[in-house]
Amino acid sequence: METPTSSINRRDFLAKTAAGAGAGLVLGAPGILRAAGASPSNNINVALIGHGKQGQVLFESMKNIPGLHFQAVCDIWDYNRKAAEGHVHGLQKHMPKAYSDVDEMLATEKGLDAAVIATPDFWHSPHTVKCLEAGLNVYCEKMMSNTIDGARAMVKAMQKSGKLCQIGHQRRSNPRYRFTLDQLINNNKICGQIINVNGQWNRAVKSSQNIAYKPSLTIKPEILAKYGFKDMHQFMNWRFFRDLSGGAISDLGAHQIDIFNWFLGAVPKSVYATGGNSYFKEREHFDNVMALFDYDTPQGQVRAFYQVLTTTSSGGGYWESFMGTEGTIKISENSSVTEIFKEASPAPKDPSAPPPDKPIPLSWDHLVQRGLLGRKAAAPPPAPAAGVVDSRVSKPPEGFALPGELNKPPHQPHLENFFASMRGEAKLNCDAHHAFLSEAPIYWVNPSALSHQPIVFTNEHLDV
Amino acid sequence: MTTESTECCKSTPATECCKSCPQENLGFIYGAFLLRVWLAIRAIQTGVEKYSGTVGSDQPIRIDGKVNDYGLTAAEPVKEYALSHYHGVPEALMTKFTHEPIMMQMKWALPLYDKVLGPALLALGFAILLGIFTRTSLFLLGLLYVSLTWGLILIKEDSGIAWLGIHMILIVMALMLAKHNRLCLLKKW
Repeated sequence: METPTSSINRRDFLAKTAAGAGAGLVLGAPGILRAAGASPSNNINVALIGHGKQGQVLFESMKNIPGLHFQAVCDIWDYNRKAAEGHVHGLQKHMPKAYSDVDEMLATEKGLDAAVIATPDFWHSPHTVKCLEAGLNVYCEKMMSNTIDGARAMVKAMQKSGKLCQIGHQRRSNPRYRFTLDQLINNNKICGQIINVNGQWNRAVKSSQNIAYKPSLTIKPEILAKYGFKDMHQFMNWRFFRDLSGGAISDLGAHQIDIFNWFLGAVPKSVYATGGNSYFKEREHFDNVMALFDYDTPQGQVRAFYQVLTTTSSGGGYWESFMGTEGTIKISENSSVTEIFKEASPAPKDPSAPPPDKPIPLSWDHLVQRGLLGRKAAAPPPAPAAGVVDSRVSKPPEGFALPGELNKPPHQPHLENFFASMRGEAKLNCDAHHAFLSEAPIYWVNPSALSHQPIVFTNEHLDV
Repeated sequence: MTTESTECCKSTPATECCKSCPQENLGFIYGAFLLRVWLAIRAIQTGVEKYSGTVGSDQPIRIDGKVNDYGLTAAEPVKEYALSHYHGVPEALMTKFTHEPIMMQMKWALPLYDKVLGPALLALGFAILLGIFTRTSLFLLGLLYVSLTWGLILIKEDSGIAWLGIHMILIVMALMLAKHNRLCLLKKW
């Protein structure tokens, strides 16, 4: 069975966006058939595949979602598998079936409705394809795969199976992000024309160290080899190896570059990146990467800069900033970093530009009164240096805040959306095809950095 | 301290000694009381914290006077206390314990300990604070700290072991000063 998304390709995506669908409309509202997957009891039988750190984060979120039954757990490491059994037992008061091999699990377990996959990136595609082919709906962590062909295979398997496949770009279901896109950027256009986008994930050296393990818990070499790992160090630190992951740009950057594309309602037309092993010299992947993306959006040209640094936490951690002529929205999963600024002086009208849909208001007081924005204390004006104020210095912008918070773990709304879609109560916020359209440019960041060359995207680069 | 009063304290019960040499004994009485209160508060608040949890605000924000459709709520998660939040052994440690071979042999022990730990800290803390069977309560609190120490040795939490060692020293000091115990509900044991 073919889902409606199978008819979407990058050209359609751009055309629809250019036709005035509005920023984020296409990426934000993917249509997909509702999959009939839930058991007759309306309990969804779930298999947990991969129960490392990220698997445990997802489980902690799923604990809060009613109607789930964790039927089976699967992990090649005894340590994680027993942890999974313990966590499920703690929740359900009975042990799930435990497996070390996905094939064995799929061959043995009857009645599974869904798989939640949080294995290393290079296993995402094989595991997702196997589960979809076995008739399961799949929630798979991002990045879709360590290779673009692996990601393509996931899209094709979803389309062929007719099952649901949600990719774990959890910000797509975060109420704070959805509100910001719908209400602030699209409906009220508080940024004016977005010209630049900035994003970063800066992490200190201390938080970027190799992950250690107890020698007594080492997996047997033949098992490691069977599942594609050279040794236990590589198993624990697969994110640093080129054959197993996309490195920091896909590990951390993919979440945020996805937001660039989602909010702009477009995919970039080129990337130029640079990176290096400036501190962690023994690692295969770069420890710092900087990338420039060029977009043509319905509003006009946009240039975006993204950096992922694993050698410093300066600059406020991780966030995405959308900078327009009227205002800037700096948003993050970390609400304490989120800030909204209004330019002190409205931009003069461009005589060549088409007239705006609505007159641009001089104040955002009405948005605060309506509950669309919160107030933030204004920053003090900069002290004049030596009595001279450069006339070119802009007045400091006025500060605002998002009006509300998310009162759940950050992954929970995305998982809720997945299970609600299985029940026919919602549509996926990030199915594999839309995730692919957004992720595809990210696969070309490392090649650009390695070759020191910009890459201008063609259909071969970005299409399924 | 005079030789006379020292001899007095050696040969007479603490209460009578106190009557015979009140000035010299006041320091011991204060010391015993302060140590008792410290250990009690330490145990009680630790027990209370086991009933704490973080919950998000369920108060939806309103836009144009209507509840928003996005699920945005009014405030960031807040800490609260409730029986439903109870967690005797912190989850991070619980995971470590479940993987220890010794604990795997005694699968029943960890859930039981998890259930008992919080109430035990509260009961012993209040008993010590109110002076109910002070010596026995201090002794039992010491045993509880020994059990915690054993668990931390198992998972190689050396700094926690050192902290508990300091607690044990304080308990032993409290036991040594117990004969100067005042403001007690039940002086037996």
